Amino acid sequence: MRETWVVGAASNRFGKMAESGREAAATVALRAIESAGLEPRDIGMTFVSNAFGIAERQAHLGPLLNTALGIPEVPSATIESACSSSSAALHEAYVHVAGGFLDAALVVGVEKLSHLDTLTATSYFAIGADYPFEARNGATFPGLYATIASAYRQKYGTRPEELGAVAVKNHANGARNPHAHFQKEITMDMYLRSPVIASPLRLFDCCPFSDGAAAIVVAARERRPSPVGEPLVIRASVRTGSIADMHDRPGLTGLPASRLAAERAFRQAGLSPKEIQFLEVHDCFTIAEIAALEDLGFYPPGTAGRATREGETQRDGRLPVNPSGGLKAKGHPVSATGASQVVEIFEQFNGLAGGRQVPHAEVALAHNVGATGGSCSVHIFGRR
Amino acid sequence: MLEPTVPTVHSIAEFRTAYEDGQRLPGLRSGCGFVTATWGLVCPRCGKADLSEVDLSGRGRVVALSIQHVPSDEFLNEVPYAYVIVELEEGGRIAGWVAGVADESVLSIGSRVHWAPSYKPGVQFARDDPSPEGGSAP
Repeated sequence: MRETWVVGAASNRFGKMAESGREAAATVALRAIESAGLEPRDIGMTFVSNAFGIAERQAHLGPLLNTALGIPEVPSATIESACSSSSAALHEAYVHVAGGFLDAALVVGVEKLSHLDTLTATSYFAIGADYPFEARNGATFPGLYATIASAYRQKYGTRPEELGAVAVKNHANGARNPHAHFQKEITMDMYLRSPVIASPLRLFDCCPFSDGAAAIVVAARERRPSPVGEPLVIRASVRTGSIADMHDRPGLTGLPASRLAAERAFRQAGLSPKEIQFLEVHDCFTIAEIAALEDLGFYPPGTAGRATREGETQRDGRLPVNPSGGLKAKGHPVSATGASQVVEIFEQFNGLAGGRQVPHAEVALAHNVGATGGSCSVHIFGRR
Repeated sequence: MLEPTVPTVHSIAEFRTAYEDGQRLPGLRSGCGFVTATWGLVCPRCGKADLSEVDLSGRGRVVALSIQHVPSDEFLNEVPYAYVIVELEEGGRIAGWVAGVADESVLSIGSRVHWAPSYKPGVQFARDDPSPEGGSAP
């Protein structure tokens, strides 16, 4: 396996896009390629994620994207894994480059859903779960993660303020991120007064429906000896799965696919959690960040909420978590989310994160979950 | 020619029709003891193709729940309701919902429930009526 790098990255501002997903994807892709000091013709293959392309009456986005980039002969593949689609695409790019099948690959994730009303968007998201056995029983995505929150609260006695601390922190980070959907801080009082969506989760526990696009360029070190910026060395790239239906899993207070992915990623990287300096984790709901910190091995079960409330995971805390604002505040344009986590780490490594820059950016981890954990990606990045 | 390793008499549509029409609550039991109401061909826990179809009791207790205020389109007229994960008396878990639950004073983790179909989508449960002896009905 060849040493493989992320050599370029770009994102647009998440939120509501005026342009189509196709236009946004091509625009960020070109910016990512240029940030790597490359040209589109240097790309050997494009891995595209656009799980809800049907919302724009468009499938098979790859050839359209490559044509817009002036490389129509370059192959593409669409990678769908619900909310972890573009981290799954990154894994595929990594496998191809590290394995010597490609020298450089483009990963692009894009979603445009803001033109849908809440009912339609909620219904679309629900089919990312098991339609006949979860959604048909009344489950929505907030509802599914809320059952984790209810089981977790029952077992560990979690207080609402612990979930609220995740929301307040991530909004504070998002307020410093020009890519973020929400660039406004919230207070604990605002959190506690927000309406219940799916008990015990409130409005401010939930990530928004966002439009957005993010792209990254993956290349073999031996082909890019002098990268333009500081590359991310991919120390680990792991994909895992678990029983798709939450209710059929042995436990309800976390995600087995996250635990397995972390275990394998740390082994692949030859690192342990204490060597990770900051994280981008999948916080589609506040409880998801708390569960992730425990599943990934950073906190013992039942303790991550208290640590968050005590400020350990703030930008200047012991372990900065989601300096980008996470899905919660940066936004969650489903298929762009995984790639955007890597954009954040790329900007942090290159000192481009401005007011949200973390103190130490040498080793970082990205964690991206598909739906309720039927699929999961963990990537670990280091410096040259 | 390969013989099928598991009987394929069941299908997702048959499962769904059976419980939405109130006929029975079909499930699968594996040789390892895993019980599920989710359709499949091979046990997701032990990996053996020895699933056999069983009728589930539909009686159990709530192990996780969430009261839904923002539904998907199929439940637009049902809010508020509780999405529940129920641990069945015979083992295994099943997802379902309970109509007319506005807060957790009505239904909470530990509440006993039973399958109560009413020709609506999915697996519908109802809370057991507490009996004077502390038992439950039905």
